[in-house]
Amino acid sequence: MAKIVIIDDDPDILDASSLVLNSKGHEVITATNPEDGYQLVIDNSPDLIILDVMMNEPDDGFFLAQKFRRSKITVPILMYSSVSKTIGMSFGVNELVPVDDFVEKPISPSLLVEKVEHLLQLRKEK
Amino acid sequence: MPGHPKVLVVDDEDLLRTGMQRLLEMEGYAVDVAANGTEGVSLGTKGDYDLAIIDLKMPDKDGMEVLKEIHADKPNTVCFIATAFASFDTAIQATKLGADGYIPKPFSVEELLQQLQLGYKKRLLLLETERLRKDRENRLLEIAFERTRMNTIVNALEDGVLVVNKNGEAVLYNPSALKYLPLNEIFIEEFIIPKLNPQIAALINHYLLAEEYLPQSFSTQLALDETNETFIQITCSPVPHPDGTLAGVVTVLKNITELKKIEQLKSQFVSMVSHELKAPMAAVYGYLKLLSDDSITLTGEQRQKFIERSEFRLDSLLKMVNDLLDISRIEMKTVHREIIDLNLSEIIKTILELFSLEIKNRGLIVCFFFLENLSSIKADAEEINRLFTNLISNAIKYNQTNGRIDINISVTENFLVTTIADSGIGMKNEEKKKLFHEFFRAKNEFTKEISGTGLGLSIVKRIVDSYSGKIEVESEFGKGTKFIVSLPFRTSMKIEYFENEK
Repeated sequence: MAKIVIIDDDPDILDASSLVLNSKGHEVITATNPEDGYQLVIDNSPDLIILDVMMNEPDDGFFLAQKFRRSKITVPILMYSSVSKTIGMSFGVNELVPVDDFVEKPISPSLLVEKVEHLLQLRKEK
Repeated sequence: MPGHPKVLVVDDEDLLRTGMQRLLEMEGYAVDVAANGTEGVSLGTKGDYDLAIIDLKMPDKDGMEVLKEIHADKPNTVCFIATAFASFDTAIQATKLGADGYIPKPFSVEELLQQLQLGYKKRLLLLETERLRKDRENRLLEIAFERTRMNTIVNALEDGVLVVNKNGEAVLYNPSALKYLPLNEIFIEEFIIPKLNPQIAALINHYLLAEEYLPQSFSTQLALDETNETFIQITCSPVPHPDGTLAGVVTVLKNITELKKIEQLKSQFVSMVSHELKAPMAAVYGYLKLLSDDSITLTGEQRQKFIERSEFRLDSLLKMVNDLLDISRIEMKTVHREIIDLNLSEIIKTILELFSLEIKNRGLIVCFFFLENLSSIKADAEEINRLFTNLISNAIKYNQTNGRIDINISVTENFLVTTIADSGIGMKNEEKKKLFHEFFRAKNEFTKEISGTGLGLSIVKRIVDSYSGKIEVESEFGKGTKFIVSLPFRTSMKIEYFENEK
């Protein structure tokens, strides 16, 4: 059982994702914008952060991920992506995009669970 | 004599002069006579005579002098010297001084006519020579003129032009070419290929190094600077010799920065659209997966909610596609417009009636002020309806419960001005800037529950623009928003243009 924060501006995606992760026994807290999301992470110290790449601005998900890392928050980040590739952002897990993995929308529940469990496992081993 | 050659007879002997005149006129010549040298010069320099017969010895002026003065002005008049003191010496002297022939006195009629006939042939040859010379001069002038004209045109072109011969030496260029290549200077006949951007050099070398003449043109695009601020398109075309071999290559450099920008905006728009279309699909997909997943137990209430949410998201997806189609129709100017006299106050009343249930549910007070007979406008009913439906719908959606909406139609000199003010949530300055952007929607606590495609105001703006109108917005965060729409009374040029396209 882990504590997971999901930050996405789409309430339906939050609902569906929460339910999937709840069904696996995880506690889920959600926020619909980067500012609330940041505060939620600071206040709750989750085991995993799920972050949408595009909320108010086309790439504010990236900036929020960078902000977490600058604040020395090392929790694994799983990023939801949709069409960011075509907007011209080079994809990859590196310094500019300091996240641990991606899930492409629409989200397959089994894939989501698989990636979440994998990241939680890695965190435990560290 | 065909063509009636003009002859001038200059002789101080009356009998001879008139006799010659009668004789020549009978033979078909047009004859003028002069009784002395001075008169002869005066006539001979004024009229353009084919032939002149000049007596050598005259009291006032020597015949040779007369001939010289006539020739100075009319070099192509064929002149004969006639003299009674015929001698070999005078004949030589006369021809030396420019006489075309020599007529000894007394002369036989046959002799005279034969001389004149030969003289006239010479005259025709002289005239032909003169004509050819003038033609040639004119052509040279024309060529010189053509060359300066071409240079002027080439130099004035916004596109860069560089012409090289088959050895790769510069033959012609214009100032724009220097700008786009970019080079500080080009020397005519210098081997220019190594100084060029490798991509341009390669394009030109394609022709220069080919074994056979390549008839087709080649194009490429490149960024002029590393910051990708200026883009140029380079097109090379071969120039053939008449025998079909390569004479040189013309390179045209065109600044396509603006086109590139539009292209970029278009791709950005496509990305935005894809993202906006994908969001509701992802949501519905997520719900369907949950509904069909046996490992997840859902309550009946949850099932019902997921189905309702899915329907809601699909409905907004449909609305968005319809809005996008409208935008594309307005952009492509294929909207079939029917410009008729409309009464704007009637249209707004109808819209308010359609929204009456929403207005009642939210407890809104609507005040509509207009002057009877002062709200007519020439426009397409459907578009005007769409314009104000979108604005009024926003005024309802973004209002506070129990708020108010003030609608006012007024008239200025050229415009019908409609203001729609709500007492709603208002906008922050940065939101106001993006208001008319596609897919922009203010996101905050108030707007969370408000549905919309993010295209409504973008359509409003496009409709207003297409009527050469103006839309302004005043807003204060937390207090309300006021839209001011000014539409011209008269049908503008733009609208007529649309009509012609039907």
